[in-house]
Amino acid sequence: METALKTEVKMNWIINESTPPVIETHGLTKTYKGIEALKALDLQVQKNSICGFLGPNGAGKTTTIKLLLGLARPTGGSALIFGKDIKKENDQIRRKVGYLSQDPRYYDYMTARQTLRFTARFFYDGPKSEIESRVAETLELVGLTDKADRPIKGFSGGERQRLGIAQAQVNYPDLLILDEPAASLDPIGRHDVLEVMERLRKHSTIFYSTHILDDVQRVSDTVVILNKGTLVAQGPIEELLAGGQGNTFTLTVKGDSTGVETRLHSQPWVTGIETISKNGKVSWRIQVSDPEIAEDQLVPLAMAGGGVTVSEFGRKALKLEDVFMNIVEEDNHGH
Amino acid sequence: MDTNVSALVPRHVNGWRMGLANMLAKENFAWWHTRRWWIQILVAVLILNGSLALNIRDPLGALVDLQAINYLNTSALFVPILIVILAQDAILNERHSGTTAWVLSKPLQRPAFIFSKVIAYGLGFLVTWVLIPNIIFYIQLVAAGRVGLSIPGFIGLIALSYLNLLFYLTLALMLATLFDSRVPGLGISLLIAWTGPMQILARPMEKYVPWLEDILPWKLISSFGEPPLAGYLALGAKLPTVLPIIATVLWCVLFVAVAIWRTGREEF
Repeated sequence: METALKTEVKMNWIINESTPPVIETHGLTKTYKGIEALKALDLQVQKNSICGFLGPNGAGKTTTIKLLLGLARPTGGSALIFGKDIKKENDQIRRKVGYLSQDPRYYDYMTARQTLRFTARFFYDGPKSEIESRVAETLELVGLTDKADRPIKGFSGGERQRLGIAQAQVNYPDLLILDEPAASLDPIGRHDVLEVMERLRKHSTIFYSTHILDDVQRVSDTVVILNKGTLVAQGPIEELLAGGQGNTFTLTVKGDSTGVETRLHSQPWVTGIETISKNGKVSWRIQVSDPEIAEDQLVPLAMAGGGVTVSEFGRKALKLEDVFMNIVEEDNHGH
Repeated sequence: MDTNVSALVPRHVNGWRMGLANMLAKENFAWWHTRRWWIQILVAVLILNGSLALNIRDPLGALVDLQAINYLNTSALFVPILIVILAQDAILNERHSGTTAWVLSKPLQRPAFIFSKVIAYGLGFLVTWVLIPNIIFYIQLVAAGRVGLSIPGFIGLIALSYLNLLFYLTLALMLATLFDSRVPGLGISLLIAWTGPMQILARPMEKYVPWLEDILPWKLISSFGEPPLAGYLALGAKLPTVLPIIATVLWCVLFVAVAIWRTGREEF
């Protein structure tokens, strides 16, 4: 049922959007030596959104990104970025895209400033002063100004990642594609990266893959979930959270709780109950099919037998992690 | 600090040259703004001119010529090894480290990536392994009393030395695009470089594949009982054949073409 909900969310979202998507794939497929790494992917990323691209290891995220950038060739289907075909017009696409790879590597003999200058020169002919100004501005954005003239060889993983973000957006890209931008960062580094992404959203669409679901929930507008090369969910993050496991309530009582569970079980809209007893209190995690009835009736039902006081009641606040786990697990069992 | 975005002039180069100028600038930077250039010169002069300096003291012209031929043979045997190692690394190091994928995600055409390597390494090796050692070689010969060397002819010798080097440079670049390991490239290059001058193989080759020495660069600077073509040029004499020169040029073109084709199909 959840999968059906996700699909519904996805379809509504796609139909409702009127502006042409920045990224659009149709049946995009990639096979490596007979193994399908990506299976007929239909994906849409809307303009000026921050789209989190999620999936377990080996789900096909990096493959998708490489196909979009022309670093790998699709074995089937097609994809458009800014309405341009990724196979035929990749040169034009790359002029408007910034990319950070999963494990960013640069020329070790260069300094951060030289690296950014080199990157900027792919896009701009000059003037030199403006390029230098842009490089300095970018270094400042990622907090590398004080290390700008040190060779990259001595950079930590976090500093390399910052440099990666800097080089990805030195050309004012209309689309930023980031593959695990916060993977090797400490919490402060992660926070900084998310802040930079927030700042960049004014000018760019950001499509980024990650494993850190808390970050996705914090900054993303939309989410795409991939599992075993197949798209399993796609849509605005609020809709995904609301349409997912939002039908779970928690109820905690003090006193004589005998009979409460039986009364709850007897309701046709209660689909599952999990009991937790702790320090004389009994808590239930109750899954329901109709959240509105549940909201009205759960507390009266619990107190109906008397001798019980409700100390805690509420709808379970869902995290993206829960939704992600549910979707992926359900998809795994379905296959 | 704010950049005036509209003042930045976008690059509009399209086609195979897209990104070439920037990549070439970067490659040249790696050659001439790091220690690479002087280390190469030092090694080249030590190996080539150093060994010559130890043996050239005899004032007799004939012996000087013999040592000059030894210099060219040393160059033919050992320079390919170093060229192949360095040129293979130009491609393989980048591919293995991920910098190739990084630069190819920017507005850079794949042929431009290969051309930048060919041009920058071609220039770097020209200066470090051909021009400087050969100019010193000329000075050494003159200092040892060798008369009758023509300067235009010696420039011809330098050109053939360079052509020989270009053969191995382009071969190494091509092999680095075809194989993921250094071993096949080094093995194939050494097989080609060392098979020709091996005396033990001279007779069977003459019997079964007599045309082979005409289509490979062996005769350019190596001696096969008769002086190498570079020797003829140095003395201002007429070349007995130009076939190895034409063949080597064609090989270089073919190797670059294959490297471009292979890089175009590469997935990262």
